[in-house]
Amino acid sequence: MKKMIAMLLTGAMVLSLTACGNSPSGSASAESSSQSGDDASEDAGAEESAPAESSNPVTLNVTTTFAGEDTNAQNYQDAIAAWQDETGNKINDASGSSSETFKARVISDFEMGSEPDVLFYFNGVDSNPFVEAGKVVSIDEIRQTYPDYATNMKDGMMGASPVDGKNYSVPVNGYWEGLFVNKAACEAAGVEIPTADTTWDEFMDICQKIKDAGYTPIAASFAEIPHYWFEFCIYNYLTPATHNILPESADDEHGQAWVNGIGDMKTLYEKGFLPENTLSATDGETFQLFIDGKAAFLIDGSWKVGGIEGATDDVDNFTVTYVPGKGSRKSTDIIGGLSSGWYITKKAWDDPEKQKTCVEFISYMTSDEMVSKFASVSATALNNGTQVDKSQLSSLAVAGLDMVAGATGMAGAVQDQVTQEARVPVFNGMPDIVTGKADIKEAVEELLKLVAEGQQ
Amino acid sequence: MIADDRKGMVIDMARGNDRSKKRHYKFSFGMAGIYAVLIAWALTTIYPLFWILMNSFKDKKLIRSDSFSLPVGETFTLDNYKTAFDRVNILGAYRNSLVISLSVAAAVILLAGLASYALVRYDFKLKGLLGSMVVAGMMFPAFATIIPVIRMMNVIGLANTNQIPKSLLAVILPQIAGNLSFAIVVLRGYIGGLPVELEEAAYMEGCNIFQLFFKVVMPLCKPSFATVGIFSFLWSYNDLFTQSFFLKTKPEYSVTVLLSLLTSQEGTNYGLMASSVSLIVFPLLIVYLFLQKYIVKGLTAGAVKG
Amino acid sequence: MVISMSSNIYKNKKPIIFFLVPAFAFLVIFLYYPFLQNILNSFKVINNLGSSAKGWNEPWYTNYVELCKDENIRAALVNTLKMIAATIIGQLGIAIMLALMVDNISKGQKFFRTVYFFPIVIAATALGLLFNLVFLYDKGMLNQLRELFGAAKLIDFKDNKYAMLTMMIPVTWQYVGFYFIILITGLNNISDDLYEAATIDGASRLQRVRYISLPLLHNVICTCGVLAVTGALKVFDLPWIMFPKGMPSNSTWLTGTYMYYHAFESHNVDYSSAISVLIVILGVITAKIVNTIFREKDY
Repeated sequence: MKKMIAMLLTGAMVLSLTACGNSPSGSASAESSSQSGDDASEDAGAEESAPAESSNPVTLNVTTTFAGEDTNAQNYQDAIAAWQDETGNKINDASGSSSETFKARVISDFEMGSEPDVLFYFNGVDSNPFVEAGKVVSIDEIRQTYPDYATNMKDGMMGASPVDGKNYSVPVNGYWEGLFVNKAACEAAGVEIPTADTTWDEFMDICQKIKDAGYTPIAASFAEIPHYWFEFCIYNYLTPATHNILPESADDEHGQAWVNGIGDMKTLYEKGFLPENTLSATDGETFQLFIDGKAAFLIDGSWKVGGIEGATDDVDNFTVTYVPGKGSRKSTDIIGGLSSGWYITKKAWDDPEKQKTCVEFISYMTSDEMVSKFASVSATALNNGTQVDKSQLSSLAVAGLDMVAGATGMAGAVQDQVTQEARVPVFNGMPDIVTGKADIKEAVEELLKLVAEGQQ
Repeated sequence: MIADDRKGMVIDMARGNDRSKKRHYKFSFGMAGIYAVLIAWALTTIYPLFWILMNSFKDKKLIRSDSFSLPVGETFTLDNYKTAFDRVNILGAYRNSLVISLSVAAAVILLAGLASYALVRYDFKLKGLLGSMVVAGMMFPAFATIIPVIRMMNVIGLANTNQIPKSLLAVILPQIAGNLSFAIVVLRGYIGGLPVELEEAAYMEGCNIFQLFFKVVMPLCKPSFATVGIFSFLWSYNDLFTQSFFLKTKPEYSVTVLLSLLTSQEGTNYGLMASSVSLIVFPLLIVYLFLQKYIVKGLTAGAVKG
Repeated sequence: MVISMSSNIYKNKKPIIFFLVPAFAFLVIFLYYPFLQNILNSFKVINNLGSSAKGWNEPWYTNYVELCKDENIRAALVNTLKMIAATIIGQLGIAIMLALMVDNISKGQKFFRTVYFFPIVIAATALGLLFNLVFLYDKGMLNQLRELFGAAKLIDFKDNKYAMLTMMIPVTWQYVGFYFIILITGLNNISDDLYEAATIDGASRLQRVRYISLPLLHNVICTCGVLAVTGALKVFDLPWIMFPKGMPSNSTWLTGTYMYYHAFESHNVDYSSAISVLIVILGVITAKIVNTIFREKDY
């Protein structure tokens, strides 16, 4: 036993020594513990109209979600390192992966007045607490002093706050949702891969054939993550213009669209197009069915491109296409949007030493060039679009780009309008709904009621 | 057979495992049965660790599809470790973790020891209430208490300072409190089993009450304190939740925080997860083996026995 | 074995304060004061962990009314009761058995102490993945083994029928080592002279266990009982990873997972605060029950 541990220790030592060798900037931000913001002058308002030309190095506290396995974690580290070299300013980076704990940390920081100066964070309901409290500065207000701020973006796509419809954040990379396809599984079942022209009914026929051939047509865990299918199924009864709006009630036309859409999900279940254990499997399990070629289709977001690339040796066996549509939705109407952006907090804005640096930093991080690098295959709000070198991308990523390029309409995911609490009756109740134990209309009513309660 | 067994005992004695010398062991079928059961259980506990270690050397793609085979030949890879060591200062994180967990373990041993000693030996009015308080304290979920704690840390200037010692202290203090309840409950059980006569004898010889605790009770209960220390260390070390609120910037990261950031979110990189778990577990096992010496040796160290 | 309170040393009660104040100061500042806030929170409207309350509930005890009506809580309580039974019988029972066995062997004590500790140090995420792969429907370790022995149909171990069992086995297994170590420490505290004397009197190994080990371990077993019931009430990590959101169809909730769910998933922090209050109350009551049961038993 002892010998084994000694060996392991030696091994660990060797590994960690090598690690020291190639970790250049591990302690770079350690020295910068001074907080220049503490001695801010009281009367910041006077400074606002004429930003001081401060050449003193400034330390910014920055929190982002570019950490961990985020595809941009490395891009972000490179960018802030370059920016610090260029300007001589310092960055205290307190980024974390966007877990629920991380969100709680960000929110509680705002609550206690220890928020960062600059924040890259979600712009949906997650941002409501600090937007409501007036702790971040709107783009309009920033532009009164810095008219060029974020002018390379389309205002309409910046991701307005659900609180007051104003823009507070400058987005970088967006997301889309599409139908991922395991080509081998389709081939084995003798079916064509759906295209932009495939209709929902044709898609149902394809699924039936796949099922008859002994494969699972759709990889989805309706128990854990039903929301992708929920989005597209109700989208079928709506349009890009109306999809993102919540119904008034379950009885009106819009509410009826929801009921019908969820009804289609029930049909999928009843026809046996989902994995046998869709009501007891986790998303990880059903995703693996898709990777292993036991299931043919998967609806997921642009972030899954990296997930699939990482999970298979043969990425060319996978592609992504439009989710076949019916009714008022064309197949090429997709779901997508920009769900996060750069915020400047009120605290930093009111600090004359930091204000300008914050603006400069965000402008640097949201230049056309930088956004192209971060966005890669995903959507952006750039006026001029991204410049992406396709030769660097996998065939799957290129398929994603092509899909977005050919889209005829785009709507944000409606679930982003619904708080977690209100999602329960439909999302968590999905197993009961598809097995007929719960009534669809009642579930929708319940959801809308909870949304209304939350808005009070 | 018996001679063989004796030899084993001699070896055991040489190892310092003194307690076996006083008992007589004979080989029997009963003994064989006991070993069979123990080994069977050991297999179930060794296998998962082995499984994780094995998979940490495997390509991440294979872990979900083919997790129960050995990584030999082409499937063997060090990539998962390379990713874990890339760009992160894991040694600094180990240091932070050790500082936190050792401080927590030491403080818990001392404070819980004192408290449980009084709760066992003294008879006083509030005893029942305090006992219930301790049990209730074990049940408070961390998330229910964390927000007021953060607020306090902000007020006393330990949180959000970007200074490593302060941030570590901000984790240590609530963790001590979090582990105290458990420690008191366990130590009460152990101290309650000590014969009071020893203390009386020492008292006769002129020890005061604090000397009784530090010179009689603590040495006698060394194994118990080591056990409590092990668990306090373990839970402090693995307590990602409290740590992630106070250790925000890279130089402050503990091992658990650092590795959780690597494997987070989508949770699809199982290879990285396996290597992270290995990197987290092995230092723990070393601490355990180190402290286990006290569990085994403890009795011989205390000169007095019941 | 009951401590003579009459011992003269402990008549003078003044030193108590020095023994108790440090520990209880920590408990009060970092646990009790925050938890009092948590109790207040259970009467307020709070969506996100960390955000301030939006006001009081209307009426203020709404969450507790909700608790009484909530079917999931009922399922969680029933499941938690099963879990308590499993921990006491399974975890504690196995741990006592293993500890007594290890205490009675001559070689390899250290080895077993070490390897039985393994499951506790491995993070729940990793164990969750392992057990998910063992119980995987298509086709995990168990279903592959069954196939090998000629079974034709796959079993869905996460289906309603097997879900609780599939959850309880790993949880029980994981913490046996924990109780084992507490118990073996207790056994080590027992003086060897006692065994010696008993052996000279001709006691068999079993008799030594029955008349020396078990009675003297009494205190420690009682401690483990308290730890087991409180542990079952709050356990959430491994069950959550294997059966998130009470899957399948709300049948696997435990009080711990349900509280976690409301704190982090449904953004209903005030309700989860109410659940935590319920858990603490149940914890104190069950601990009291365990104490009386174990105390009454005379070996």
